[in-house]
Amino acid sequence: MKLRLNKTVAAVASSALLLMAVPAVGIASASGAASKPTYTIGYEGPLSGGNQQLGLNMVFGVQLAINQANKTGKLPFKLQLKTYDDQGDPTISPTQAQSAVHNKSLVALVGPAFSGATAAAEPYYKAAHIATVSPSATRVSLATSGWNNFFRVVADDGVQGPADANYMVKKLGKTSVYVVNDGSAYGSGVATAFAAQAKTAGANVVANATVPGTSQCQAGTASTTQYSAAATQVVASGAKGLFYGGYYCDLGLFLGALQSAGYTGAIMSDDGSLSPALIQATTPASAANGVYLTCACASSTNKSFNAQYQALAHFSAANATYAPEAYDATNAIINAMKHMKKVTRVAIVNALHKLTYKGMTKVIKFQKNGNIAGSAIYVNQVKNGKIVQLGLE
Amino acid sequence: MGGFGHYLAIHFDTLRKEFWFLFVGGVANGFLYGMVAVGYTLVYGVLRLINFAHSEVFMSGGFAGYFVMKALIGTSSPNGFATVYLIVIGIVAGGVVGAVVATLLERVAYRPLRKRNAPKLAYLISAIGASYFLFNLAGKEFGRYSVSVPQPYINHTVFTIFGAPVQLYYIVILVAGVIMLLGLDRVVATTKLGRSIRAVAQDAETASLMGVNIDRTIALTFIVGGALGGAAGFLFGLGTGVVFTMGFTPALKAFTAAVLGGIGNLRGAMIGGLLLGVAESLSVVFVQAAYIDVVAFGILVAVLLFRPTGILGERLGRAA
Repeated sequence: MKLRLNKTVAAVASSALLLMAVPAVGIASASGAASKPTYTIGYEGPLSGGNQQLGLNMVFGVQLAINQANKTGKLPFKLQLKTYDDQGDPTISPTQAQSAVHNKSLVALVGPAFSGATAAAEPYYKAAHIATVSPSATRVSLATSGWNNFFRVVADDGVQGPADANYMVKKLGKTSVYVVNDGSAYGSGVATAFAAQAKTAGANVVANATVPGTSQCQAGTASTTQYSAAATQVVASGAKGLFYGGYYCDLGLFLGALQSAGYTGAIMSDDGSLSPALIQATTPASAANGVYLTCACASSTNKSFNAQYQALAHFSAANATYAPEAYDATNAIINAMKHMKKVTRVAIVNALHKLTYKGMTKVIKFQKNGNIAGSAIYVNQVKNGKIVQLGLE
Repeated sequence: MGGFGHYLAIHFDTLRKEFWFLFVGGVANGFLYGMVAVGYTLVYGVLRLINFAHSEVFMSGGFAGYFVMKALIGTSSPNGFATVYLIVIGIVAGGVVGAVVATLLERVAYRPLRKRNAPKLAYLISAIGASYFLFNLAGKEFGRYSVSVPQPYINHTVFTIFGAPVQLYYIVILVAGVIMLLGLDRVVATTKLGRSIRAVAQDAETASLMGVNIDRTIALTFIVGGALGGAAGFLFGLGTGVVFTMGFTPALKAFTAAVLGGIGNLRGAMIGGLLLGVAESLSVVFVQAAYIDVVAFGILVAVLLFRPTGILGERLGRAA
């Protein structure tokens, strides 16, 4: 009796559900989305905090690629973006990663943006078989930690640091160099690689000093007075070249102090400093002039991309570091998904390992460890308050 | 031992060469610390409470200066008389906004607790809460990354002292700092307001029996301390840029300076600030830049071990 009643209830309930579902489907097909499933592509990076600009640069690149893919209508699915703000912070990153993992519709992720955050988050992504394609995490060891779901579309610090050193020593002819890093995983990684190659290239490396991030930049708690101290030490050392491994906000403070201390040698930094916000954070702004900024990323010269990016982001793509790479990383994921009968997290990881796709910045083809195959480092210079791309190193 | 002697010889040689350059920078920083430290010490004097939201008074002064400079300077590069006039306006703007924020803090975060005779711990929590609220509000309203303040001058070396260049920025801080700290010292030592502050600091209950309006005196103490803190925020921002977290470390250092000189002691706060600034700056010769904060707090611990009441001692309520 009880059983029969249950069956009746179930039948009534299911027919009621069907009745409710019919109009819903009707509305959906009226708007043209028919029965296409919707998948989420995640983005993890700094969307608040001192390095917010880098995150924003990327997120609009991801959004643009998704918008374009949806617009063609040729894909057997719809895509949507969900962002996870880790502030670039390795202590926040795991929470964001777990939140992404628990999002059932999320199939792959662009990011994480920063190396430290990536190292902290990757174990969670790996356990959930989520492919992560980073536009910007360049720490060498990320590719050798046994994460088969890890990919990146930029060259690592192992490539960038030595290339920068060769440029400083051989092209600019600086035989005595001072190296400063901000103590972050990323900053010290690239600075150490720079120092080693500078030595090999025949330069005298006076020091590789750690000057930690300041509370002014939320990258740390150190006080800004340390920069006048560090600048004094650089000048006293007599070095003719200075390399800074770190991010734009703290470099901006350092540049002001270097000018005050009377430093006149060459200054070079990495892609963490490659942002117009560097000039904003430098007092006076003129202290940023002449600084060399290198990057495994190229600034976009693609007119159509630039126009669409501007329309979406309301700022120029020309200076949006890592926007083209974020766009390429997203398109790599979309291309990996494109021909799938059944889109799953694992299937995307496998497809990315086999992918060859001609992206906007380069041909996207991954090595077995997730590193991009073949790469180039670009050098830029600040001229009259603007960042100008000089070309390949 | 020979190795260590050699190490010292090299460093003292650098110290001899760089002394005046580092000294000038240290004195300038010291004045900034001193201007913020007096805010801590004044409030401690009348309320026996460390106003941990003072860092946000400093930050709001920095932003006030930033917006005023941005509006008045734009992209032009002023010089001559315009420079003096702009700096004075910036200091006044920073000071006024600092005083307003300090007053609001007193009204919202402290006075209700005082009226209810809340325990001292409640004040501390209230201060930290107010601080978090204010800096996050600034981050939300003004953006979360550091921006440089439009410069009312082109910073350059004005003269040299024993071969060390002295920059215009440092001169601005020195002049402003000397005027404000001397002025404050005179106000507290000679005026009726100063007498009320000292009376409340000595014994609030007796002071009220003698006709001192305690509420008004406390409010004015916050205004005076807030004005100096806000002005210091403008001067700091001028050289470093402004951001919502800018108050944290400088204010912590200033608090250190206040304790170093003897909390509650006005001249102690000034001396503590100068001492801390100069010691930090000169320590660079011997340690890496990253250890500069360690030096600052090392000095504090060392001084407190031998003089728990600070260099000048807690001379609460005396004629400075």
